[in-house]
Amino acid sequence: MAAARKHKRMAASQPGFLPLKSDLDGSISNVKRRKRVNKNKKKNWNKYSDIRDVEDFLDDVRLQEKATGGLISEKPDESLFFVDTGEKAKDKQPQTTTKKGKRSKPLRIDLILQPDSHIPAPKNVLAYQQPNAKKQRRKAEKAAKLAAIGVLPRREKLLQLRRAAAASGVSVKEKPVANNNPERPFYDLWSEGTPEAADPFYLEQTKKKLIKRPDRLNEKPSVLPAIEVIAPGGSYNPDFFSHQELLREAHEVEVKKLKVEEKLARQLAVNQDIATEESTFKEQVEGLIEEDEYQPEDPDGDADDTVIGPTATQEKKTERQRKKEKAEKIKELQRKAEREVIDKKQQLFQLRSIRANLKNQEQRTKMRQAQRKAKQEAEKSMPRRLGRLKFQEPDLDIQLSDELASSLRSLKPEGSILKDRFKSLQKRNLIEPRERAKFKRRYKLKYSEKRAFREIQ
Amino acid sequence: MGGLQKKKYESGSATNYITRNKARKKLSLSLADFRRLCILKGIYPHEPKHKKKVNKGSTAARTYYLLKDIRFLLHEPIVGKFREYKIFVRKLRKAYGKAEWSAVERLKENKPGYKLDHIIKERYPTFIDALRDVDDALSMCFLFSTFARTGKCHVQTIQLCRRLSVEWMNYIISSRSLRKVFLSIKGIYYQAEVLGQTVTWIVPYQFAHNHPTDVDYRVMATFTELYTTLLGFVNFRLYQTLNLVYPPKLDGQGEMSLKAEFEEDYALESESYTEKLSALSASLARMVASVEEEEAELDHFPTEGEDQEKMEVREKMEQQQSKQKKLFEGLKFFLNREVPRESLAFVIRCFGGEVSWDKSLCIGSTYEATDETITHHIVDRPSMDKQYINRYYIQPQWVYDSVNAKIQLPVEEYFLGVTLPPHLSPFVEETEGDYVPPEKLKLMALQRGEKPQAEEDEEEEGDEEEEDEEDEEEDEQSENEEEAEDEANLAEMEEKRSQGKSLSVKVTPGKAKAENRVRAAEEEKAEEKRLAIMMMKKKEKYLYDKIMFGKKRKVREANKLAAKRKAHDDASKADKKKKKKC
Repeated sequence: MAAARKHKRMAASQPGFLPLKSDLDGSISNVKRRKRVNKNKKKNWNKYSDIRDVEDFLDDVRLQEKATGGLISEKPDESLFFVDTGEKAKDKQPQTTTKKGKRSKPLRIDLILQPDSHIPAPKNVLAYQQPNAKKQRRKAEKAAKLAAIGVLPRREKLLQLRRAAAASGVSVKEKPVANNNPERPFYDLWSEGTPEAADPFYLEQTKKKLIKRPDRLNEKPSVLPAIEVIAPGGSYNPDFFSHQELLREAHEVEVKKLKVEEKLARQLAVNQDIATEESTFKEQVEGLIEEDEYQPEDPDGDADDTVIGPTATQEKKTERQRKKEKAEKIKELQRKAEREVIDKKQQLFQLRSIRANLKNQEQRTKMRQAQRKAKQEAEKSMPRRLGRLKFQEPDLDIQLSDELASSLRSLKPEGSILKDRFKSLQKRNLIEPRERAKFKRRYKLKYSEKRAFREIQ
Repeated sequence: MGGLQKKKYESGSATNYITRNKARKKLSLSLADFRRLCILKGIYPHEPKHKKKVNKGSTAARTYYLLKDIRFLLHEPIVGKFREYKIFVRKLRKAYGKAEWSAVERLKENKPGYKLDHIIKERYPTFIDALRDVDDALSMCFLFSTFARTGKCHVQTIQLCRRLSVEWMNYIISSRSLRKVFLSIKGIYYQAEVLGQTVTWIVPYQFAHNHPTDVDYRVMATFTELYTTLLGFVNFRLYQTLNLVYPPKLDGQGEMSLKAEFEEDYALESESYTEKLSALSASLARMVASVEEEEAELDHFPTEGEDQEKMEVREKMEQQQSKQKKLFEGLKFFLNREVPRESLAFVIRCFGGEVSWDKSLCIGSTYEATDETITHHIVDRPSMDKQYINRYYIQPQWVYDSVNAKIQLPVEEYFLGVTLPPHLSPFVEETEGDYVPPEKLKLMALQRGEKPQAEEDEEEEGDEEEEDEEDEEEDEQSENEEEAEDEANLAEMEEKRSQGKSLSVKVTPGKAKAENRVRAAEEEKAEEKRLAIMMMKKKEKYLYDKIMFGKKRKVREANKLAAKRKAHDDASKADKKKKKKC
């Protein structure tokens, strides 16, 4: 404690320190109110040390710097004082100037917001700093060194190459030619080109090598030829009989269609009972004629007999009955076993018939196999079911005898080849049969009369 | 009883198939793009054997693909391009919406595209594979090239199709490989033999289009996209085999002769060359100055028995073909304006004829109608005002029929205003015993080199003679059969009976028959065969009888048809006579 006091006194005696506010009388009261405070804590330092004088002094310094740009004590006299020589001339001049430049005078509100401090704002250090400056500097140095040797970075090299190519008139990157460009060039696709020089593994890993097409995909899904030539009856000037043949074929198709339609109509028709004379007569006579055969039976007996099936009231089997049944069962089984043995023995004598049987069976399987094979063969040329819709045979293109052209000039072509080709693609299972998507309105239509229209009416 | 219970639909066909929608999601493509990809790559939907198993118990019909196929599709680089294109469209639409025109231009400049070359190579590993599949491509290209440029598909596609089809026709002309032509009510069928492959295609008549509504144009356009690429590469290779310049160029001579005075009357300057090419009237330039076509002669090897026979047949075929190739050589045709110019020019040039047309009809006419050296003038109208005496005026069907018959048919039946004989389909090949229309019989006789008699005579006279002739021909045919099989005697008898002629039973004074060695040998052979039949096992005999019965039945049916035909002809002739008398 004594040591602390000694310190204070020593500080007071030093020239750089401002004297403490308290005087001798104050020290007495201080002593009185002395508190025991641990000074080993920062909190207590802040709380119990009096630094107001230092702050006042610093505030004063700051104020001076703000107002004048430095300490007043350090300023030369000329900047602080001037010789007053009257203000008549001075007063007149600014009045005229203010009138002239009234507009140029800033608003007062702006003036208030102007910083009036004479201390310049501190520099924003971050604005002057470059991130990674050191690294970049080092990089640039290295690049300069390499450039001196003659090694260029990749980007530069590519740029130079491109420039050179452009100068020589060959564009490096060819734009892809559209597939339907009429002037597109072709080349020999199937020539033995230069074999790939690169490592196959590398090509595979970088996905530059195409995957081998499985052989299965090169099989055509149908055995039908691409172009099915029309029957000889479809000639523009056909032979009479082949034309008739074609007409007959078309006719048969039509008849088949008609039959299907008729069948459907028949099935859908409401089964109507139309009253005939006989039926009306029967209705009228109903109940009037007594029929001899009809003999009403006894109602009571009838009710008893109608119960069929087991009922809960059936009597339980007696023990004897059970035993009997069991014995019968065993007997039956025995008999069957015996019969089997005999049959087996007998089979020796039936060898011929068995053989005949086997032969029959084999024949049947063979026939069935052949049938199945034939069916499979036939199916190869049939359109398969590839989607929701079934393939529908297009109508046969025919011209009736009176439609036939007398000369090539007056020939009117029948059907459309485009449709023919489309159907052929479907028939050969290359595409699935589809129907044109129906137009579906998203919202209901709403009708309203326009005013102009209404006015006319 | 150990082990886990097997769950349903976790193995087998349920896992081998994938529905279309799932496949589409797996590839993350829109349905349209997915469909396009499948068409381009040649992945087709598949019908599973057990739908219920595949569809997890439901039997609803859906479109399935094999899972392995879809996995294969995952590796396709074009899938990425499709996605790129989708994004391009989105960006473009956005730019349009914001009216950022510079952005629109930039985007359009960098429009992503894709190539199908690798797909063609992958699908058709060799050139012959591609050639086998060119039927479809040709038909589609010819079809699309006739479309009007009205926005049903891209104009560029139409132009490309036209270019490719003209290239193909020019190749067929230079290689002279056309074999058959058939004018049907749908369009014109052509068949050519290119490098040993039979190629058939159909060309629509000009201006024959009504656009059907139930055809998916997008699908067709996708197929066309693939097929144009294929056909382009095939054309290139074909031109190479003939040492022709590709893209085709007219040879110097042709170009000079085609120099019209006012070319801009026909076409724009940019298009006039292609138009001249498509006129088909001049030959193409070759890489190497053409050596006169060397006919590759068949090598002769000493062979025996069957091989020799085969060789002989082949040689005969070869000779016939080379003869057919020069069918119209030396003839000069002139096409009147009402005939189908392109088809006729193509066919005539394919067989070495020279062809021209009216100057105002089309570009590329080489001589005028007044040229004295013209041998055939093709006309399709009832009469002509001014006729030259030193040329035939014939109807276009003569050209086609001659091509199919492989000989120059007599022109009399095809004169101006004459009722034409029927145009028979060359694609029908009759087997033994089938009904053959009399026109074809006549034709076959002509091919054999027999002169038709009484053709030029007046009709009144011709009637009976023709009948006789027909009889003769029928007899001839039956003779052929006799040579071929022993049962033909029976057929002949039946034939005669069916025609209402009684067997000639007559006693005639005997003649000393000259010993015919050939005849004797034949008889011996027949005897041998008869004995062999007798020696047959019961089972075999049964089969043999069955076959013979079938044959006989066929013959009987054919005879019936022939008789019917004859009755019909007689009736029509009688009608005509009556008309004449009236």
